[in-house]
Amino acid sequence: MEPTRNSHATLVDLLDRVLDKGLIIQADLIISLAGVPLIGVNLRAALAGMETMIQYGMMEEWDKSTRAWEGEHRKAKRTAVTSGEEVLLEMPGSYHYSQGIYTAWRTGRIYLTDKRLILYNPSFEEVLFETPLQRIKGLTLEEDKCFTEKVIGDLCLLLESGDVIRLHALDTPGLKEAIEQRLLMLGLTWQQVPSLSLQDERTASFLREGEEVVCQGETWHLVISQAQGIATSQNWKHGHLYLTSRRLCWWHDFERRLIFEVPLEHIVASILVTNGRKAAQTNNRKGVLDVIYQGEHGKEVSSFSGDHLTCWKGELNRIVLSEGIGTNRHSEQTDLQEGVSSAPVVQTLSRIDS
Amino acid sequence: MGLETKYIDETKGGKGEKDKAKEEGMYLYCVADTGERASLGAIGIAGNEVYSIPYNDICAVVHNCPAHPYQSNNQEVVKTWVIEHQNVVDTAWRKWATVLPSSFDTIIKGESRDNTEQNMKDWLKREHENLKSKLDKVRDKAEYGVQIFWDPKVMAQNLLETSPEIRELNEEIKQKPKGLAYMYRQKLENLIKHEMETGADVCFRVFYKRIKKHTSDIRVEKTKKAEQGLQMILNFSCLVQKDKYAELGEELSQINQMEGFSVRFTGPWPPYSFVGGS
Repeated sequence: MEPTRNSHATLVDLLDRVLDKGLIIQADLIISLAGVPLIGVNLRAALAGMETMIQYGMMEEWDKSTRAWEGEHRKAKRTAVTSGEEVLLEMPGSYHYSQGIYTAWRTGRIYLTDKRLILYNPSFEEVLFETPLQRIKGLTLEEDKCFTEKVIGDLCLLLESGDVIRLHALDTPGLKEAIEQRLLMLGLTWQQVPSLSLQDERTASFLREGEEVVCQGETWHLVISQAQGIATSQNWKHGHLYLTSRRLCWWHDFERRLIFEVPLEHIVASILVTNGRKAAQTNNRKGVLDVIYQGEHGKEVSSFSGDHLTCWKGELNRIVLSEGIGTNRHSEQTDLQEGVSSAPVVQTLSRIDS
Repeated sequence: MGLETKYIDETKGGKGEKDKAKEEGMYLYCVADTGERASLGAIGIAGNEVYSIPYNDICAVVHNCPAHPYQSNNQEVVKTWVIEHQNVVDTAWRKWATVLPSSFDTIIKGESRDNTEQNMKDWLKREHENLKSKLDKVRDKAEYGVQIFWDPKVMAQNLLETSPEIRELNEEIKQKPKGLAYMYRQKLENLIKHEMETGADVCFRVFYKRIKKHTSDIRVEKTKKAEQGLQMILNFSCLVQKDKYAELGEELSQINQMEGFSVRFTGPWPPYSFVGGS
């Protein structure tokens, strides 16, 4: 193999060397170099710009300036926003960081500048996440269907690389609008992605075809271990409760699987106990939601605790009514006293009745 | 062609006229391994007269200019300047065999023309030992650029056939309902991406070893965006003995023949990547 040095094909290789490398002379002897790299960058931008333009159909001027900017600031990455960059919007926010089994929301301040979107942690002077705006290929506001005071939306960004970034901001819809406005001004196109199918892995692993999540939320569940039909121990475990179009199920976070599920038509009733007795172990006084359903061996009860239990109860009872099951819920409840085998539940029920 | 004319100019070039205006800058092209005072002719940037300023057994190859950098918004103009810069370095390199090239727009300043020249000499004097050891380091050597690319499509296809884990997942997808298949495909893509990253690391290490043994020194450069759907997996600047580049070329052609891999081999360049630092 013979090396080539044809002046056209290797121009970029030449530029890399002539502009970035070579002898270094002490600064006091030579004239200010402040403007010098700019020439190189402009030049390189012009050369690189052509390929990129063809590849992405971008406007040349804009692409050039971005590239110039990138080159100029490559070394100054430690500060969140550099001079010459205009901050359009700033607000507290966080982003969902996921690496292997480690996932966390990392919080900081979101900066939308005329060129980039940045999440910066001022205390650690750390850029948690950043992307040039032209890499954003899709945007969507994912509404979390959990029971909170207001519906919280996460902003999901689909990047050129195919990665999906989940952001959360003080005013997420506002942030989305601002990004879109800026993209529009830059003449960039992006997709309005109706849903990026970001239903997390969890739901994907248990949802059946045609089944949809109606509600979901973080809850505690009283897990009863049984030996030969006799309850041996009861422990509150942490996980997520899902109401789907077909089932009510509970995902155990630790085991990462469903350990409770019941078809909607088997749900008889749900009862909310708020005296805090049963929930003592969950370290909160939020009450306990008992769900009564038709199990394999007659009526059974499962207990849940957590936030928004009233909403859960309302939702479950609405389903029970609309499914036309448990037609006479009062009589069912009375029956339960005999039907249910688990002792604590019987106590609960009798307390309610009395 | 352009290059040739410049080389001819070198032979024609007369003694440089003394500067007419009171300029206070001196554009440095390179330091050469000779104590000769000579003119290379009007081959410099914008047709400037290029000459050498000797100190002891080394010299600075320069042209006289005002004390501000060459700047232009016109890319064609700048491109021409860079090529002219390179032509001067090449000329000096041919003439004196060993040079330390400086980067574009390195301009030494002075209060007057004489003072500028004095500054240049003082610098040569002060840095003599350092410059001399750098010259020794690059003597009889040239720089070559080696970039290796792979075709990610070929690599992904290979993985689908060879990795049991990926093959299994790929089979599994076919039996999944639509919604789930989407998630699985994402999973598969991630897995392939991950395996490819690992693969690229392995290739990097293997190729590094194979290439390094033919070089006197090697610099690992940043990889860049490649064209035509290829990915650059390594980018080296290699300092190679002038009589050894054929060996390196042989090694590279073997890599170039591997399925899915292609090699870009450029040079010989003046040793730009091996003269920085102090």
